[in-house]
Amino acid sequence: MAQFSLNINAQTYNIDVSPDTPLLWVLRDTLGLKGTKFGCGKALCGACTVHLDGNAIRSCSFPVSAVKGKVVTIEGLSEKGDHPLQLAWQEVDVPQCGYCQTGQIMSAAALLQRNPSPTDKDIDMAMSGNICRCGTYLRIRKAIHTAAKGGADE
Amino acid sequence: MSEVMKIKRRDFIKISGITGTGLILGFGLSAGARDKALTHFEPNAFLKIGSDNSIIIFAKNPEIGQGVKTSLPMIIAEELEVDWNNIEVIQAGLDSRLGAQFAGGSTAIKTNWQTLRTAGAAGKSMLIATAAGKWQISESECYAERGVVKNRRNKKQFTYGELAGDASKLKVPEAPSFKDPKDFKIIGTSKKGVDNQQIVTGTAEFGIDARKEGMLVATVLKCPVYGGKVASFDDSETKKIDGVRHVIKIDALGSVERVAGVAVVADNTWAAMKGKKALKVTWDYGEGASESSAGILEKFDTYLAKNGEIGLRDDGDIDAAFNKNEKAIEAIYEVPFLSHVPMEPMNYCADVKENECEVWGPTQVPGYVQRLASGITGIPRENIKVNMTRVGGGFGRRLMADYAADAITISHQIKQPVQVVWSREDDIQYDYYRPAGRYKLKAALDNANKLTAWYLNASTTSRNLFRGSQESPHTTEVFPDGFPAGFVPNFRMEYTPVKTVVPSGAWRAPGHNATAFIDQSFIDEMAHLAKKDPVDFRLEILGNEDKEMPYADHGGPTYSTKRLKNVIKIAAEKSNWHKKEAGVYKGFAAHFMFGAYVAEVVTLSLDANKEPHIENVLAVVDCGIVVNRSGAMSQIEGGIVDGLGAAMFGEVTIADGMAQQDNFDTYKMIRMKDAPKIEVHLVESKESPEGLGEMSLPMISAAYANAIFAATGKRIRKLPVQLSEVSS
Repeated sequence: MAQFSLNINAQTYNIDVSPDTPLLWVLRDTLGLKGTKFGCGKALCGACTVHLDGNAIRSCSFPVSAVKGKVVTIEGLSEKGDHPLQLAWQEVDVPQCGYCQTGQIMSAAALLQRNPSPTDKDIDMAMSGNICRCGTYLRIRKAIHTAAKGGADE
Repeated sequence: MSEVMKIKRRDFIKISGITGTGLILGFGLSAGARDKALTHFEPNAFLKIGSDNSIIIFAKNPEIGQGVKTSLPMIIAEELEVDWNNIEVIQAGLDSRLGAQFAGGSTAIKTNWQTLRTAGAAGKSMLIATAAGKWQISESECYAERGVVKNRRNKKQFTYGELAGDASKLKVPEAPSFKDPKDFKIIGTSKKGVDNQQIVTGTAEFGIDARKEGMLVATVLKCPVYGGKVASFDDSETKKIDGVRHVIKIDALGSVERVAGVAVVADNTWAAMKGKKALKVTWDYGEGASESSAGILEKFDTYLAKNGEIGLRDDGDIDAAFNKNEKAIEAIYEVPFLSHVPMEPMNYCADVKENECEVWGPTQVPGYVQRLASGITGIPRENIKVNMTRVGGGFGRRLMADYAADAITISHQIKQPVQVVWSREDDIQYDYYRPAGRYKLKAALDNANKLTAWYLNASTTSRNLFRGSQESPHTTEVFPDGFPAGFVPNFRMEYTPVKTVVPSGAWRAPGHNATAFIDQSFIDEMAHLAKKDPVDFRLEILGNEDKEMPYADHGGPTYSTKRLKNVIKIAAEKSNWHKKEAGVYKGFAAHFMFGAYVAEVVTLSLDANKEPHIENVLAVVDCGIVVNRSGAMSQIEGGIVDGLGAAMFGEVTIADGMAQQDNFDTYKMIRMKDAPKIEVHLVESKESPEGLGEMSLPMISAAYANAIFAATGKRIRKLPVQLSEVSS
């Protein structure tokens, strides 16, 4: 076990966990931030995506000891759950089972931060690390465009 | 909210301070005090109206992504005549008053349609009767609108909340009158998923998010060969890991629930996962260790070389027809094992106590989990409380409750609440796969190039054989009444199951996900042989006369050729099927299952390397009355993407009795860049509603394969499609 001080969603958490613990399980088990999901444990599906200093990372494969910087999870993406992507996701009625969607939104948010008006191709590239078994990809694409246009539907 | 569910209909119990939904009312209060207290009207277990005008509708079935937590309450809300924006939907637990509660067979809408309309209409009629009584007028002089009963004479009105207390005193009508569908305001519109906001903010509770005071987390290492046992194990390294509390050997249950293995129980998930990794287990693999994909294929071929063991259909004289008509094709089709891989890995929570038990987690079969828990623990079913969370995908995987059995068994042994969490590797390795199969087809044309003979000899692994079901092994593997059966004068279907240790289970659109591929591809082969347009050929076979065809397997009892022809014709028209354009290649497929009719057209182009790329997919769907348009479109889009993914990438192979795939690097999934544009047309219909969770999936592989043939001349008879072979 070892002590870590983490900045998550602009809050400081002092925790005592095994240094090899992936950030995912610190978020979910230690801190109770359960919006970040476990999907594969090998950075292959994107369900666990969070931001580290604005970049999308797969928290299932990111040991807590390597976390140096500001972490943002789905719980901290917006104050009131009103990030343009969160609104667009509801407007477009994206979710089916819903399990992968927080990871999808975090990947999309990182995309929009560096590219505010992505093309379909940009979206395909940025989002291809995130699997949706329900097949909501088309609505995800549409929701990202919707959010990029400031909420206006196509 | 499970506390709410315990409250029996029209019981008056005082509960204070629970949740934000505003509970409850006055038991034993004086009349004066009761007027001020919050009272509830609960004409049945499906809904509850508070004197504060709160309206709660309970969602009865597991929500696995098929949208029933939204669509089923829509039916109640419609007949109750309330404003959709003013209701709260709460997930029910397992509760016998709600009828059958499960997710499977795309049945929720069609089997609950009448019940839920009755539930809503009963509530509305009691509220109207209460208002009529207060005004001392006849009920026909009152009407309900958006949560208010109005007086036709003087425009006075009562809100439902104002009537709730007195309505509770009335007798619940058994057969209340329904709305005329032309007056529907909610059914047929698009309502967004009721949990959308929670999902996008990360607050929706899935099984894996369930927490209980004192809960430990367990992982289970099981034999990768089904039926194998633990010979010995060494847990010395496991026990050194911080947070590991128990290591337990779990014995087999003697059922299809594969629980045997070694469980590591820890304070947190990571410690349990590390502990599992550190285990050293020597397995007794048993007979299954010699099983392989090659061995299974060999068994298929042995069976296909002779007549099938089970004769399923024999119309006319197939041998004479093949002798007489030389224009024929014989082909072998093949589909692989598929894994379910729902995004939420298998997990379940159980808190087994002395003579009571509480469980919660993702399942398609909460009632089965209750029976299973009772069997494992000896606790009577009435003392086992089953809570339902959202389910992060089902696809048939969670019709099996092996992972729930893990949690129940472990909690039973250690007498503490436990959450079992599987890794993705566990999920793929311990799955009950979509059956693999080979299908020998032969069909012939007569002198007029009409389809005159059709022979299918199929051999597959069998879900029903695997689970020791009473049903014939062919059930949900092949369908003796499926098109073109009944339209071909000489028609024979035979089947032989392959017995194997490799587990088979139900995978979205069971059986159909294979048969629609082979039937709809082979029809295309025959159309080309006849030099006829594939759409025209199908319509010619179906004939001009409209018929109700018998359909004995699930989804029947009959299907309408009129409705099937209709979706085919609309799809041809909307896709400009008959208009030929250079560089644009199209494939067609249509299929009936579980009461719904779907036709799909895949349009593709070839890139510089002659590799096909899907430009778009068009689907025409007749599922009768559509309850939730957005939800329906979602299911159709998702089924197409899912089916395409399986056709492009899905394959589990077996060596030494074990799956050779164990995560998304080896078990490939369709990703956004491969997901095509999809255009969906829903047929306007007054027919009774059918489900939609599975119906758009099975024929997409055939439409895709037929388009590849149109583009390249290469016939795909084996899934997944190997694009490198197509473009070479």
